[in-house]
Amino acid sequence: MSDDIDQITRMLDEGAPVAPDEAPAGVLEPFEVFRQEKDGDPMRHGGNVLAPDAELAVHYAREMFGRRGESVRLWVVRRADIRVMEDLDLLQPPLDRSFKKPGGYVMRDKLAAARDRAGTTKPGARAASHDRTGRRGDER
Amino acid sequence: MTVTALDLRTQAALGDLVLTMADDEFVIGFSDSEWTGIAPILEEDVAMSSIAQDELGHARALYELLASHLDDGRDADAIAYDREPEEYRHARLLDHGRGDWATTIARRFLYDTADAARLASIGEGWPPLAELVAKIRREERYHVMHALAWADRLARAGGEARERFVAALEALAPDAPSVLAAPDDEAALLEAGILSRPMAEAFAGWRTEVAGILGPLGINLALEPTAGAARSRPAPSDEFRWLWGEFTSVRRSDPGATW
Amino acid sequence: MTDPLALDPVLPPRERSERSARRWNEDLPHDERFEHFEAHVLGGGKIEPNDWMPDEYRTAVLRFVEMHANSELMGVLPEREWIMRAPTLRRKLALTSKVQDEVGHAQLLYRVAEDLGKPREAMFDDLLAGKTKFHNVFHYPTRTWADIGVIAWLVDAAAIVAQQALRDSSYGPYARTMQKICWEESVHIMHGRDVVVTLANGTSAQREMLQEALNRWWGPLMQMHGPRSDRSKDRDLHWRIKAKTSEELRQEFLTIYVPRILELGLTLPDPDLRLDESAGEWRYADPDWDELRTVVTNHGPRSQERLEFRRVNREATAWVRAAILAEPRAAA
Repeated sequence: MSDDIDQITRMLDEGAPVAPDEAPAGVLEPFEVFRQEKDGDPMRHGGNVLAPDAELAVHYAREMFGRRGESVRLWVVRRADIRVMEDLDLLQPPLDRSFKKPGGYVMRDKLAAARDRAGTTKPGARAASHDRTGRRGDER
Repeated sequence: MTVTALDLRTQAALGDLVLTMADDEFVIGFSDSEWTGIAPILEEDVAMSSIAQDELGHARALYELLASHLDDGRDADAIAYDREPEEYRHARLLDHGRGDWATTIARRFLYDTADAARLASIGEGWPPLAELVAKIRREERYHVMHALAWADRLARAGGEARERFVAALEALAPDAPSVLAAPDDEAALLEAGILSRPMAEAFAGWRTEVAGILGPLGINLALEPTAGAARSRPAPSDEFRWLWGEFTSVRRSDPGATW
Repeated sequence: MTDPLALDPVLPPRERSERSARRWNEDLPHDERFEHFEAHVLGGGKIEPNDWMPDEYRTAVLRFVEMHANSELMGVLPEREWIMRAPTLRRKLALTSKVQDEVGHAQLLYRVAEDLGKPREAMFDDLLAGKTKFHNVFHYPTRTWADIGVIAWLVDAAAIVAQQALRDSSYGPYARTMQKICWEESVHIMHGRDVVVTLANGTSAQREMLQEALNRWWGPLMQMHGPRSDRSKDRDLHWRIKAKTSEELRQEFLTIYVPRILELGLTLPDPDLRLDESAGEWRYADPDWDELRTVVTNHGPRSQERLEFRRVNREATAWVRAAILAEPRAAA
C-alpha cells in the first residue's frame, strides 16, 4: 500500500499522468477485450491480452482484436476488476416467472371463443381463405 | 492534377522527394519487420509487426505514386527492387540496423517524430501526394503513440534498460537529422507549394519537440542540422549491401518472372 | 458477502444442487463430481476456466493446448526467414502479416494455457528444454520461395482441417479461440494458394522449383496428423477435447487438396496414392513413422537450430521484460 503511495507521489512530482486505480507496476495481468463490429452493435467479448499496465493493454487489444479493421470500438478491462455472477439460484430461479415473458401468454383458445361469440374472424385473414365455419369475414 | 501541369524542373524535384520518402519507409519497414516472431513479448511482437507493415504499406503507396509520376514503364515493385545499392536514397539514420530492442525503440522514436514533421510540411502543390500524405499521417499517429509509450517506460525503468536506451539515442543522434535533410531542389518544391515550409523549419520544430519529450526524462540529446546534400553517401554501408543482396535474391534468380 | 443459499434453510442441500446446471462445481464427493462432469462433457457441454475439473482433464487440455501454442510459435521460424526475400511488395506484406498472425495465434493459445494455471515463462522453459513438443512440419528447412507457397497453402490447410474439428472442443476458451483462429487462417491458405498458382503459371524454372518443393514437403505433410490411433483408447477424444481421429483428418485433407494440387499440373511423389472409390477412402504408401518420431523428439533437420535461435533471442530480450516489470523510478 505504501509502495503505491510512493509511486503516485513520484508521478505527481514528475508531472506524469496519475491513475490511482491502476494496478501497481510489476505484474503482467490479463485484460479482457470487448469489441463492437459496427456502429450500433452490442459490445461482444473477443478475448484477452496480457499486459503490464492499462496503456499497453489498449495497444495490444488493438493489435489482437482490431488490426484487420474488424472493430469500430474496443473496451479493455482489467480481469481483476470484473465481478462474476454465475449463481443459478439467482439467475435461473426455480419458481414460475412466465408472467415476465411473451411466451407466457397463450390466448389462442380464448380468442377463438371470443370470435365464436361475436361472430367475427381473425383480422388480416387472406381474402381467398375461408375460416372453419365457412363464413367469409371482414378483412379488418 | 496531372504531373504534366508541373514544369520539368519541379517534376524532377517531386520525383526525388517521393523516392526519398518511399525508400525511408521501405528500409525501416523491412528492417523492423525482422522483429516478427522474436520480439520481447508476444503481444509486442504483433504490435511491432503491424507498425512495420504500415511502413511497407506506405512505401508501396509512395512507389506506386512515383511509378505513375515517372511513367517510364516501371511498376512499384520494379522501382522498389530493381535498383543497384548505390541508387537507394534512404536517410542515413536507416543505415543503422534494428539492433536490440532499445535501438529499435530509439530509432522509431527519432524516425516517427521526424517523419511526422516531414509529413506536416507537405503542401497542396501536387494533390495526389497531399491526399496520400493525409492518409499516411492518420496511420502514423499510432506509431508515435507506441514509440512514446516505450521511450517513457525504458527511460523510467532505470538500470540496464535506461542505459541501453540512452546509449542508443546517442549513437543515432548524429544521423537522426538526415530524415529532415533538405531535398534536392527544395526551392522548386517550395515554389510549387509541394512543400509548405522549408525542411530547416521542420527540423527546428522537431528538435524542440524531442527536447520537450526527452528533457523530463532526464535525457539531453544533441541534434545538429545536417549540412548540404545529406542523403548522398560515399558508398552504401556493408550492412545495406548485404540486405540488398537478400531482399533482391529471389527476384534476381529469375528476372522478369511474375511472383 | 452473504451466501444467498444460506438464506434458504427450508430447502435441503440435495434439492438446491439439483437446480444448478454445473453440479460438479458443488461441494460433493469426488466420484459424484466426476460423474456429473463427465456427463456434462459427453453430452456436449462446455467447461470454463473456473469450473472444477478432474486432474486428468485439466492435464489433457493443458498438454494439448500447450503443444498447439508451441507449434504456432515455432512455426514462425521457417517462414520469417523469407520475409526479407519476398520478391514483391505485396508478397512481403502478405508474408509479414501471415507470420504476425502465427505469433498472434501463439499469444491466444498461450493465454488459454496460462488461464489453466501454467505461466508463460514456464511453458517457454519447457519448450526450449525439449520437455514439450511442437508439430513435425516446423522442424524442416525452407529452401526456396516455392517452399513458402507450399507451406502457406498445404501445411496451413492440413492444420486448418484439424483446427476446424476443434471449434467444438469441450473446453470453452479453446473452442472459442479455435473459431477465431480458423477465421484468420483462411486468409493464409488463399495467400499460399495464390503464390503456388502464380509459380505454376510462371517460367519453367519457377514450375520446377515448385514441383521440387512439393516433393520434399509431401512426406512431412502425410505424417503431420499422426499415425492411426485407436478411437476407444484416445482420451482426448473421450473428453471431446478434439473431435476427429488422425486418420479422419488425413482423409479429409487428401479429399480436398489432392484434386486441387493435380489440377495445377503438379505430380505427387507417392505412386500408391489413389482414391479407393468403393471404400470412399484414400490409399497411400505408409508414411515414415520413424521419421515422425525422430523429428518430433527434436532430432529433425532444423530442430536444434531453431530451438537455439529461440533461446538466444529470449536471452537477448530478457532485459526488456525485466524492465517492463520493474517499478518505475525517477528519471536520473
